[in-house]
Amino acid sequence: MLKLQKLEIIKQESVAPGHQRLTLAKGINALAGQFVHVRVSETYDPFLRRPISVHDCTEGRLVLLYRTVGRGTELLAAKKAGETLDLLGPLGNSFPLTDRPQAVVVAGGIGAAPLYYLLRSLKLAGKQVSFFYGARNEAELILRDEYRALVANYSEATDDGSAGTRALVTHLAAPVIAGLDATVYACGPSPMLKEVARLADCYGRSCFVSLEAQLACGVGACLGCVVPVKGREKYRRVCVDGPVFAAGEVFFC
Amino acid sequence: MTVKIAGVSLANPVMSASGCFGYGEEYASFFDLRRLGAVVVKGTTAEPCAGNPPPRMAETTGGMLNAIGLQNPGAVAAREKIIALQHYSVPVIVNVSGHSAAQYRAVIELLDDLAAVAAYEINISCPNVKAGGMAFGTDPAVVVGLVRELRGATKKPLIIKLSPNVTDVTVIARAAVEGGADALSLINTLLGMAIDMERRRPVLANLTGGLSGPAIKPVALRMVWQVSSAVDVPVIGMGGISGARDAVEFLMAGASAVAIGAANFTNPLVCPETVEGISAYLAENGFASVKEIVGLAKKEWLKMGDESGCGKK
Ligand SMILES: Cc1cc2nc3c(=O)[nH]c(=O)nc-3n(C[C@H](O)[C@H](O)[C@H](O)COP(=O)(O)OP(=O)(O)OC[C@H]3O[C@@H](n4cnc5c(N)ncnc54)[C@H](O)[C@@H]3O)c2cc1C
Repeated sequence: MLKLQKLEIIKQESVAPGHQRLTLAKGINALAGQFVHVRVSETYDPFLRRPISVHDCTEGRLVLLYRTVGRGTELLAAKKAGETLDLLGPLGNSFPLTDRPQAVVVAGGIGAAPLYYLLRSLKLAGKQVSFFYGARNEAELILRDEYRALVANYSEATDDGSAGTRALVTHLAAPVIAGLDATVYACGPSPMLKEVARLADCYGRSCFVSLEAQLACGVGACLGCVVPVKGREKYRRVCVDGPVFAAGEVFFC
Repeated sequence: MTVKIAGVSLANPVMSASGCFGYGEEYASFFDLRRLGAVVVKGTTAEPCAGNPPPRMAETTGGMLNAIGLQNPGAVAAREKIIALQHYSVPVIVNVSGHSAAQYRAVIELLDDLAAVAAYEINISCPNVKAGGMAFGTDPAVVVGLVRELRGATKKPLIIKLSPNVTDVTVIARAAVEGGADALSLINTLLGMAIDMERRRPVLANLTGGLSGPAIKPVALRMVWQVSSAVDVPVIGMGGISGARDAVEFLMAGASAVAIGAANFTNPLVCPETVEGISAYLAENGFASVKEIVGLAKKEWLKMGDESGCGKK
């Protein structure tokens, strides 16, 4: 059942320059991979809602982690604890669990946001998790201590070597994907997803990626957010058929 | 609150606009669809249509551009979705699209036996398909011919949806009525485009798209005024309506009913809220029916010149 919710903001924290973590009052029970569609203004300016992934969820309490990249996310960041947030959700599908006891999770930049809840869910399900966290530099490894605390096998890669290995995160993950009979999960920039999908395909691992697109309605009605997929259907909607897709199903741009 | 459009009785004058409401199922979980005057479903073609490649949409100041390209499951699959809508006992208006007169006709022939279909809205104004669509809606001779042909294919009411992308919308409006239109709906989206400065290229894969949202409301109001003054059939007004105030303005401009499109994306409850808002407006201002405010601004406009030296002249 889709719902329009008005939930109180419990906490709005700046966790790094340009990055906010927002905690909401109880009201939405979501699965890892799902998102909420947030109305950032009471007027029609900006016109559309903004989709933000579920960063974490415990007993109906949602946490969002987002980067301020434009007017919408800046308006969201300006909201204070005690104010209410108008949101639709939970929307979209979720990361599926498989019968594999091992999981490899690859994050690129703010793509890490939905993977925190995934890591927690995988651990709860008793999986052995390896997590690879990549970003441009140390400052953009947002909440790295919290991610590190969550998983035993934690690795970092940065473009400039300011933290972890100076490499693309996919280079770090490649030997593990090759050597471990694990399910692979990823969220991040398109080229990263494409490479993770290639590696997973190469070694026969099942792989799930979370995709982004410009969304309008968020509920499957407008058909504005499609991605090209293999097969007869040709296009599928990020908002309801995704945001999580089997990597082999989609074309990466 | 009841209105009658082309022989179809509506519980209130508020409809969902085609393309912004799917086949109703997505919004049925937000509110009871019975609260709508009618549901206008997605543009339906005879054959399934995959639509345009992404990116298909771009947000703009006060609205959005879309270039969906008529993605829909085709009339045969749409049948099931329309039958499912029957459960809500709300009039269903099917938006019919195609690339040729024969294709429009085929959609009607595939759906005409369904009691759930109250009327057809003939989309001669989609800006996002290569052939047909808007091309049909910009040539009066073609419009007369198409409407006449479809008139022969069904006894159900035909609502012709007009394009704003013409020099004089009343020419096309008169052509549609001449062909046998029972009502007109307007406006479809305005042709526009967006450029991404950082990436130095157009945003939409289709290059151009249809502009909708509050930004287009003044254009839509003007055209509703012009068309409702030019023809005798009822006009369904749409284009940037995002609440009761906008809806009342369209009714006053001469629309007999209104449709709400892109605002559903921002506020999924905008349709029922608009119904309530119109009802409250009528009650607060002593109007007994919606009909009393249809075209009201025109009557006032005529008076404006007479009474004083200010105003119209
Ligand atoms: C399903 C889904 C889940 C998402 N989850 C999260 C999340 O958990 N945390 C988060 O921070 N963001 C997330 N996003 C992205 C987020 O929705 C956008 O960053 C946001 O809509 C931008 O709005 P804005 O008004 O601030 O920026 P806009 O004014 O719309 O854009 C400003 C600038 O940023 C660029 N931009 C817009 N979106 C993105 C993007 N996604 N990535 C990079 N650049 C972008 C634009 O091209 C533009 O140049 C998600 C998107 C989707 C589709």
